Amino acid sequence: MAESPITTHDPKNEEQGQGPVQPSPQQNKEMEKNFAQMKRKMSMEEIGLKIKHKIMVLSGKGGVGKSTVSTGLALSLAQLGHKVGILDIDITGPNVPKMMGLDGHKLHVEEGRIHPAKGHLGVKVISMAFLLDDPDTPVVWRGPIKLGAIQQFIGDVEWGNLDYLIIDFPPGTSDEPLTVSQSLPNIDGMVIVTTPQAVALLDSRKSITFAESLKVPVLGVVENMSGYTINGVTAANTSVEIAGPGGKTIKSTSDENGNFSVTLDIFKKGGGKSTAEDFGVPFLGALPFDPGFVRGGDDGVHKIVSDPEGASSIAFSEIVKAVLAQISDKPSSSLEII
Amino acid sequence: MAQQMPKLVRIERRESDLHLTYEDEQELTVSYQDLRHACPCAHCSPLRNEDETSLKLRSQVESFKLHKPSINPVGHYALNFIWENGCSNGIFRFERIWDLANRRDPDHGKPYVHGAW
Repeated sequence: MAESPITTHDPKNEEQGQGPVQPSPQQNKEMEKNFAQMKRKMSMEEIGLKIKHKIMVLSGKGGVGKSTVSTGLALSLAQLGHKVGILDIDITGPNVPKMMGLDGHKLHVEEGRIHPAKGHLGVKVISMAFLLDDPDTPVVWRGPIKLGAIQQFIGDVEWGNLDYLIIDFPPGTSDEPLTVSQSLPNIDGMVIVTTPQAVALLDSRKSITFAESLKVPVLGVVENMSGYTINGVTAANTSVEIAGPGGKTIKSTSDENGNFSVTLDIFKKGGGKSTAEDFGVPFLGALPFDPGFVRGGDDGVHKIVSDPEGASSIAFSEIVKAVLAQISDKPSSSLEII
Repeated sequence: MAQQMPKLVRIERRESDLHLTYEDEQELTVSYQDLRHACPCAHCSPLRNEDETSLKLRSQVESFKLHKPSINPVGHYALNFIWENGCSNGIFRFERIWDLANRRDPDHGKPYVHGAW
């Protein structure tokens, strides 16, 4: 083993005419670990300077499309010309790489620094998925190990200068957002994703309260899967009736070309907006239920990339505008505090 | 019908109260004691559910020496007041401060219940 430059000084040894005592392998390991932690802490502080805006994306409940929204936000911001990164903190269910066309990608590590992968539109991506040899392998880690992994993802990654870092979390209000909010300086805020139905809203309300307990601002609520629009063709200027969810009849009239559209509230409607109003936080907007997102997620080409002019992409860009309106480079913009 | 809340443009921390200036040029005040008694955090809020505990909370905040708090904006929708003693956990939405300034119950008569909506 190479001799350590750090030696321990034992006066007894000097009396006996012996030289300094080399640290044991365990002591060496402990010193290296402490040094790495110190470096990581300094790196996390640097990140606060190099990354202008950090946005956490949470949902109280799984399956509401949080990762789709995270990747959508990142891609929309990249489309506006910003430098963007995504940190996929969902250690047990990392989905972001697949959505960003980075399935099977392996991370590049150089001199102890992890270099992120580059997905669509140049968005930098870090995800636990990159460390798994077998995508079917579950990650079964206890809390302290998860904490260490998250801190490495924050402190050991060479993000470079970014305008926005989107942080995608697993559903719920547990260790992961707590660790990130305590480790990463100056987080701009949280975006809470929900679907319109009561069960999802109940959990999203917990996320809002969770944000308050962490003293992280809530940038707003996004209502995903808000209505499914059917487009069809019939005779011109004709009334159409569709049997919607719950047996409700939905009427529409075709135009002079026979085109008509009907929106079905499959998961009810408006719950995200009323929740935002109840809590006095901004409602950022609603995203339609779009099967294209499902296909895009599975195929690794996000709908925003494959159909940038489509209704869903436009809805995303409106949400990004609402998010950007919440983030200001001036502290609390126009309020004077003396 | 309650007046719609105008935008708060200026907060001046005085010896014993906040002097608030709104965009429509209204000037209102909220005493530090009223502010601290109305703390919306999960610890202080249940104390206001019952008269006895609410009075104890009031006595407690009145026993603190008056001093100017630090004020941290929370997003664009709330403020957090940091005191030298007592509770500094409350995140005060601008609507809450507006209710206090207009001498209205910021809890709107509703008891606080942990975690259930």
